[in-house]
Amino acid sequence: MIPQLLTMRVARPAGRPIRIWVPVLPVMLVLSPLLILAALAVTIACLVYRVSVLRVFGAGWRLFCALPGTRLDLREGRTALLVSIR
Amino acid sequence: MNEQRKDILDMLAEGKITAEEAEQLITALERDQSLVATNSGIRPKGKAKYLRLEIDTIDGGEPGRVNARVPLQLLRAGVRLTALIPPQALAKANAELTRSGVPFDLTQLKPAELEDLVDQLDEVTFEMDQPDAKIRIYCE
Repeated sequence: MIPQLLTMRVARPAGRPIRIWVPVLPVMLVLSPLLILAALAVTIACLVYRVSVLRVFGAGWRLFCALPGTRLDLREGRTALLVSIR
Repeated sequence: MNEQRKDILDMLAEGKITAEEAEQLITALERDQSLVATNSGIRPKGKAKYLRLEIDTIDGGEPGRVNARVPLQLLRAGVRLTALIPPQALAKANAELTRSGVPFDLTQLKPAELEDLVDQLDEVTFEMDQPDAKIRIYCE
């Protein structure tokens, strides 16, 4: 299962906290031209360093699919950052 | 063998119940035992899903906190990436490690062994208490 939603919450000493919800799939579709370029760059790097392209993409995909459930919560005084991937 | 299972087998041996009845009783017993284990929060080995890292600090009078939850699946996927590190990079890393006084051969690290290591994290609990910091690493 690929990540569906990335949630970010930033709290600052002054002002209201900012909440951002990023739907991963639509954003990936929007950024697909850049992703294709990145994939090309990775492919070239694999060929240069003689690493299996398929294995690299397989491992990258597994890493991406393992992201749901990740949560990072940082607080320092009245400043806070929360990143959550579902 | 627990007492209840032994009683059922005794009744079967004495001919008080049939083999089918014994099987039904044992199945019901196992169901009850797994329910008790679930309700009491006992986690079977290898069932941990997340690595948790909690750090509480007091820096300059201000409290700070880091609370991270990393899926173990993510660690496993990351470990598989180590198999893709080019040999040239490993050789350079080995040379740097040796120069820094850490004679560690990274080429000897096998992904399967690292995966075993991640599997064993299940039972790891690390706690450190200091006057200005408290660190806890565990799996849940």
